[in-house]
Amino acid sequence: MNLIESLLTGLDEARRHWGQTLLSLLGLILGTASIVTVLALFGGQTALTEQFLSEVGGRGTIIVSDRESSAHPGARELASKRLTFRDAQYLRDRASALVAVSPGWAQQLSYRAGNTSFTGQVIGTVPAYMVINDIKPLVGRYLSDLDVQRQARVAVLGWKYADSLFGRATAALGQIVSIGEKSYRVVGVLEREEFYFAAWENNALEYRNERAYIPISTAITQYSASDHLDFLTLKARPAVGAPGAQEQVRSLLFARHGVEDFDIRSSGQGAGQQAGQFLLLFNFIFLVVGVVSLVTGGIVIANILLASVVERVREFGTRMALGATAGGIFAHVLAEVLVVTLIGGLLGLGLGTALTGLVAHVMQMPAVVSPFIATVSLTTAVSVGVVAGVFPAVRASRLAPVEALRYA
Amino acid sequence: MLIVAEGLEKTYRLGQVDVLALRGVDARISAGEYVAITGPSGSGKSTLMHILGCLDSPTSGTYRLDGEDVGALSGKRLAQVRNRKVGFVFQTFNLMPRLTVEENVALPLKYRGGVTRGERRTRALKLLERLGLSHRVGHRPDELSGGERQRVAIARALIGEPAILMADEPTGNLDSQAGSEVLKTFAELHGAGHTIVLVTHDPGVAARAQRVIQMSDGRVV
Repeated sequence: MNLIESLLTGLDEARRHWGQTLLSLLGLILGTASIVTVLALFGGQTALTEQFLSEVGGRGTIIVSDRESSAHPGARELASKRLTFRDAQYLRDRASALVAVSPGWAQQLSYRAGNTSFTGQVIGTVPAYMVINDIKPLVGRYLSDLDVQRQARVAVLGWKYADSLFGRATAALGQIVSIGEKSYRVVGVLEREEFYFAAWENNALEYRNERAYIPISTAITQYSASDHLDFLTLKARPAVGAPGAQEQVRSLLFARHGVEDFDIRSSGQGAGQQAGQFLLLFNFIFLVVGVVSLVTGGIVIANILLASVVERVREFGTRMALGATAGGIFAHVLAEVLVVTLIGGLLGLGLGTALTGLVAHVMQMPAVVSPFIATVSLTTAVSVGVVAGVFPAVRASRLAPVEALRYA
Repeated sequence: MLIVAEGLEKTYRLGQVDVLALRGVDARISAGEYVAITGPSGSGKSTLMHILGCLDSPTSGTYRLDGEDVGALSGKRLAQVRNRKVGFVFQTFNLMPRLTVEENVALPLKYRGGVTRGERRTRALKLLERLGLSHRVGHRPDELSGGERQRVAIARALIGEPAILMADEPTGNLDSQAGSEVLKTFAELHGAGHTIVLVTHDPGVAARAQRVIQMSDGRVV
């Protein structure tokens, strides 16, 4: 009898007691299902974060922000002019890793139109900001270079503010809005921006709907005495990438200021992380459950196989008396293990896919069981089974026929 | 001469103690003989049969089965010898509980290899008919009476057309009626030219054989 025939015999006999087999496989099924679900949700989450990053300007966007001065500033820090308009010009000239530099100014000011008034954020910036952040006007236009040159009193409103001030977002176009007690003409209203990490999460981009953009030159002349900036929005050269560009910007600014009185981070880092934190915890719990179930499943399988091998030692003795070789017995036991774990793995995969669908539906999260995930989980299940099954198989095949027959 | 064994000795190690199961046994059995090995328990009769059936190897001595020096064979070759030359019948039947009667009977041919499924089936059905078990072909062993199970085991032992049929207390787990039916089957097989070696402690069973090898304390007496 050759190996293939031994395997076929083993498969055939596993088929005959598969009810009992299934029960013993529960650990493996649950473990596999859990791992499938975790990987699918994790994959969905990664895709979602990726999508969020592209919504907020893509992976190449870097934000340099002014850092609050320390409680006991040193001489260098006191000497520093902090982040200025000149820094922006300097980076535009020197930072080879950047394709765009947009200086930014931000302040909380009072908004008023008709009877409606509230306090909210105002951003002073340049046209490049729109390109970097992928901002699209719903009606009208964004700020132009001419607006910046002329220090024009024009504003582009975020969707929410336009809606709150004028009752209807599109109605704002061409109207006059008072910002910080100065009048501006609304030249554009932006599209509403929305992004949800999960059904229960708030709109992760809502802050972008709650602001107005005015030319930076206007902002500085109307509200500031200095050319002090609050942030710089930068776009890295794709060939260099954000991390490389971030380092270059850091060293250039450090050389100019002599002190690190600024923070650099990738766009979307904060918001993405915050929103994803709950999901990360969720993923982690599932992963732990998956690994524990798989290990438990493995131990249970090893135990059951060992018990069934002990139970069947006399059967193996009989088989040897009828002409089975040690190799044949080994292949027989291993084949049973293989088919049993494969069935367990497939059932686990099915259960995991169903669970993924359910979780994705209930929590409104994207999650797909890809062929890669299926392969990984099946391989894991079968590996656990084989590792658990090889020892009993070796043990069974090592017995001398007469010892096996006499085994009580 | 089918079986030629000379000076067979077998020592078991039981913990710290060496147990001498066989103390120099010579045995010669010709083709077509019906031999009973008998003696009290612990006399070494089962050990002798295990060695003659290639399930165990002697500590010393030589054993030639059908002209082949069995002592020199590897584990794999020994498995082939058991498969082709020897047919075993056990006291506890030792049928595979999950296989049908027909599959149980055909099992040795599966281990032999090179026998098609169709041929295995044909030969199993033919043997089962000869042993009066045609109506039990698709049943599982636990649906059969003791006597029927033992006859299935005999069919399984015969299917490979072995040179010798070996039975270890074949009536030990049967009531007297089923036991005598099994013994009748052995007598018929002997009449048809089969070589049979039967181990029993029951003098009544031994008396049915053509020749008796009486053992005591590891020796032939």
